[in-house]
Amino acid sequence: MRRWIKFVGLAFTTLTGLACVIIVAMVAVILGDIAIHGWSRLSWEFISGEPRAGMTEGGIFPAIFGTAALVLLMTLAVVPLGVAAAIYLHEYARQGSKLVHVVRLALNNLAGVPAIVFGLFGLGFFIKFVGAGMDSALFGGALAFGQPCILWASLTLAVLTLPTVVVATEEALRAVPRSYREVAYAAGATRWQVVQHVVLPQSVGGILTGTILAVSRGAGEVAPIMFTGAAYYLPYLPKKLNDQFMELGYHIYVLTTQSPDVEATKPLLYATVFVLLVLTFALNFVAIIIRSRIRRRLRAA
Amino acid sequence: MSAIVEVRNFSAWYGPHPALREITLDVADHEILGIIGPASSGKTTFLRSLNRLNDLLPDFRVAGSIQFRGLEINRRDVDLAALRRKLGMVFAVPVPLPGTIHENLMLGPRLNNTNPDAGSLVEKTLRAAYLWDEVKDRLEQSAFALSGGQQQRLCLARTLMMEPDVLLLDEPCSGLDPISTARIEEALVELKKELTVILVTNNVMQASRVADRTAFFLQGRLIECGVTQQIFVNPREKETHEYVSGRFG
Repeated sequence: MRRWIKFVGLAFTTLTGLACVIIVAMVAVILGDIAIHGWSRLSWEFISGEPRAGMTEGGIFPAIFGTAALVLLMTLAVVPLGVAAAIYLHEYARQGSKLVHVVRLALNNLAGVPAIVFGLFGLGFFIKFVGAGMDSALFGGALAFGQPCILWASLTLAVLTLPTVVVATEEALRAVPRSYREVAYAAGATRWQVVQHVVLPQSVGGILTGTILAVSRGAGEVAPIMFTGAAYYLPYLPKKLNDQFMELGYHIYVLTTQSPDVEATKPLLYATVFVLLVLTFALNFVAIIIRSRIRRRLRAA
Repeated sequence: MSAIVEVRNFSAWYGPHPALREITLDVADHEILGIIGPASSGKTTFLRSLNRLNDLLPDFRVAGSIQFRGLEINRRDVDLAALRRKLGMVFAVPVPLPGTIHENLMLGPRLNNTNPDAGSLVEKTLRAAYLWDEVKDRLEQSAFALSGGQQQRLCLARTLMMEPDVLLLDEPCSGLDPISTARIEEALVELKKELTVILVTNNVMQASRVADRTAFFLQGRLIECGVTQQIFVNPREKETHEYVSGRFG
């Protein structure tokens, strides 16, 4: 009996440990493979150049630029909206009210919707409904916003990443001690002043965490932008909100599935994936540094 | 004796649970009123009813009347920010906010934007809180760097920055050492010249040291209220006698 217990214990330790090893191994294999193959193909010309010769040669600068612009626009849209919603939910709405319940339910469901559905939603809502409506109302029926473009793609991504920002912000608001709020109220603060002077400064770190998560998620999504703005090939950079754009994730998809010569694009593919990963990690890293700086400042101050 | 706060038949409930029952009590201008009583006797609820801080709780209800300088404070149209400036509060645990000592002191003036040269009050309030000598050279340092006792005196000074008429103190010395406690008690006795102090305390001896009058709460009821010496030496009610002589609570 005792030996049996010992055996089960040992087996359990081994199995759980093995699960961890598998995780690390998978990450190592993926990253290692990409780093080795991608690094060798990487050059300044690749990063700064345009795709040439049916995307079997040249660089990926339009895709890098497009990704950055897309994520930036998305952040501008999702952070104010998400933070505002979280502030309302946590600071203003009566807890346990029906409205709060419904909004939370909606957020949870939003978080569970497959990315491709967001793409279709963006096409149907932003392009066909809002964009086409804007065209007939503002541009006399001329095609301006009733087409896939960077604005609608970034807004679609913003909808996709909204739950992340709301949840992270709420978490941050919840972490502000009740005693801080009471002190502010007791000092004659209105509800908005409590939010402005006490709650928000304390939650900046958490809000940034949410932003980081949203950015990393948004930078890697392909499905939502496929129908809403990403271009297969575009020799120039987007200059207006209703321009189409190239994007790294979508470019990878294109290189993999649509290329006339898959073998010729393989090195490019590796290098592009490498760049996308480095970009995402870099964004994460920068945001983590900002957050820890703010935290340290808050603690020290 | 002119009353600055008049409480009449005031009751309060947390949801279905009664917290205060039919309290009737006057607070005189420029006195220190001590409020004593065992845990969950309603003394903190009472204090927080005076600046309506319990409004933050969703299912808190009240009945009866509380008047501050003749103003019925539970009316819906009362300017809560103005009311809370007039009845400043210091909490049981020192709550410095993140930021420097000076920023902490400026909290009230910054929120209310009332007094353009509030900055000139800094030294006065810090002196009143018996803290000036300890912090005068480091006003720009973090408030968290202060000891617990210093933090609580900073909180007292921060409240004084709003120039309140009434000071509501919720067990302000509960976590402090005897020396810090003595400092705060000295400060309160001095402050009495300028304002009214309502001091909730778990420490019966503290009430006997500083309070002009003392009120004894038990299970949400005001058992008795009278001149401190009378409460301690010759209480009318049996419960008061048992509590102040340490037989229960």
